[in-house]
Amino acid sequence: MSLTVVNPLDERPLPEGSAPARLASVGGARIALLDISKGGGEVFLDRVDALLRERYGVAEVLRFRKPTFAKPAPEAVLTDIRKAQPHAVIEALAD
Amino acid sequence: MPMLANGATAPPVPDLVLSGPSLLAFFKTDCPACHLALRYLDGLSRSIGSGDRVVAVSQDEPASTDKLMRSLGADLSLRFDHGLAASEGFGLEAVPALFLLDHSGRVLASSQGFDKADLNRLGGELAKLLEVPAPEFARAGDGNPDFQPGCVSRHLEPESDAAAAGIPDLYSRRTGRASRIDLPTDADAEEWCYESGYADPLPVVPPTVGRVERMLAESGLSPDEVVAHVPPNFGAASAEKIAANAVMAGCRPEYMRVLVPAVRALCDERLDIHGVQGTTHFAAPLAIVNGPVRLELGFACGSNVFSNAARANSTIGRALQLILRNLGGAAPGRIDMSTMGNPGRFSFVIGENEEVSPWGPLAEDFGIEAGCNAVTFFCAEPPRPVSEHKAREPGVLLRAICPVLANLWSYRVCKRSEAVVVIGPEHAATLGRGGFTKRDVVEFLFENTGVPVSEYDGDGGEGTHEAGYYDECVIRGVRCYRKFRRPESVRVMVAGGPAGKFSAVLGSWATGPRGSQMVSYQFE
Repeated sequence: MSLTVVNPLDERPLPEGSAPARLASVGGARIALLDISKGGGEVFLDRVDALLRERYGVAEVLRFRKPTFAKPAPEAVLTDIRKAQPHAVIEALAD
Repeated sequence: MPMLANGATAPPVPDLVLSGPSLLAFFKTDCPACHLALRYLDGLSRSIGSGDRVVAVSQDEPASTDKLMRSLGADLSLRFDHGLAASEGFGLEAVPALFLLDHSGRVLASSQGFDKADLNRLGGELAKLLEVPAPEFARAGDGNPDFQPGCVSRHLEPESDAAAAGIPDLYSRRTGRASRIDLPTDADAEEWCYESGYADPLPVVPPTVGRVERMLAESGLSPDEVVAHVPPNFGAASAEKIAANAVMAGCRPEYMRVLVPAVRALCDERLDIHGVQGTTHFAAPLAIVNGPVRLELGFACGSNVFSNAARANSTIGRALQLILRNLGGAAPGRIDMSTMGNPGRFSFVIGENEEVSPWGPLAEDFGIEAGCNAVTFFCAEPPRPVSEHKAREPGVLLRAICPVLANLWSYRVCKRSEAVVVIGPEHAATLGRGGFTKRDVVEFLFENTGVPVSEYDGDGGEGTHEAGYYDECVIRGVRCYRKFRRPESVRVMVAGGPAGKFSAVLGSWATGPRGSQMVSYQFE
């Protein structure tokens, strides 16, 4: 006789997502950098900031920062990023 | 609609006829701030006298409301806001919400959230109207916070259409039933569960319909009732899903009385299990059980308290981990990216050895009375051992703990970690004989744990860059930076077996409002 089991997993279908279209070029673009506030993150991002401008001709680098790496970005930070209307956002994860 | 202003006439509350000034308190049963407020309001009601002077208005059904009142030991005059029309009419945004009404139903004063000052103010005004002495019933420094924000009023909870919109569903209280799966007749059920991704790498008990139903029956909940949404994927931990995972972990049905409040506490936003689920750090949620339930269900509090001594500890801890993985999505190597991991990711539950402790239980630190059942969570590193077999005086004994504390997180990092110090019974006896209260122990450890300033010699290692922000002190004639931000960064409890002069120190993950804060939940 076959057994019947109760599904113990999260059964919601995963929402389908797709990556946004790649920028053809970052030259002249407005790029946002989100610092997740891990120690030393700003050192790394300062260098990325400089390279984006100097090597890739990015017109403007906008800097944003989460209050803590330990929690998701609060809505206020996301709103600020949206308001700034960057062409792309780079969020660097730890460590 | 904004909250009803002073001077406005209150809308009707079902089954309530005002016979004089009254203090109305709207609440919902799953709101921790409401639980706090109700305890104080019960005290106010008892001191002011009978009748509908203090009326608690529940936004939930009688069954869950009565259960809460029993667990709080409260005897308040109750009304039920069926359909939540009164909540809407009063313009509630959050609960607890208090309204002081005069005999004609006019609003004289109001407050939202838990606030001792507001409780005393409204209680005082009510006493004045009744011409009885004003009691100061919510005292500062009694172990409970002075203020705690409330929860969104039940009538404002969004309908659950979030899933359809492809965003996390954080609020629904009901969810779909779990699917039933008929296994192939020739399947080995244990192997089938493993291959289907149900389990950690150990064998599980297949969650057959009969086993899950027996488990569910003990919870007293509807199968589709959502206890919590488990981060980071926010899968709904319905009573049925909790039961299925409990079966797999090897729980007995009666363990549901601990597991359900434990899941709720585990997903309390203050604990930030969201961050702990994905961290590279060692942290895993440690559950500490207090109260008579330890003896009733056979929790290990003595020998081998951190290991494989009792079914209750091992299987409830494993069920919690399966829930984090199966409903929260934290599978190792995908979301759970811990560099080294933690043996506690299999199971991490201890009972406090209250019977041999010279002090009150750990949950008392969080405002829960001794003798009540409680589960407290601390996101912890694995235990670090302390051995001190020679000390006869508290000060000598505690000196052995200080250097272990000084090493938490990283030796030269200060003011970041918190700690739970699990004092072994022989050590507890030494401290008790020496007349040390729990507060004395905590203050000694705070005052005597530091890192010598001479260790900060400019090599650029972890913790050295922030030295300007540390607090300097002198410990035994040596200039040090104090390890902890404040005495309350160290919590002390008693557990372990009767022989062996050992204790254990557990360090934290990121702490405070920007990290993980300990939470303690009371249950029946």
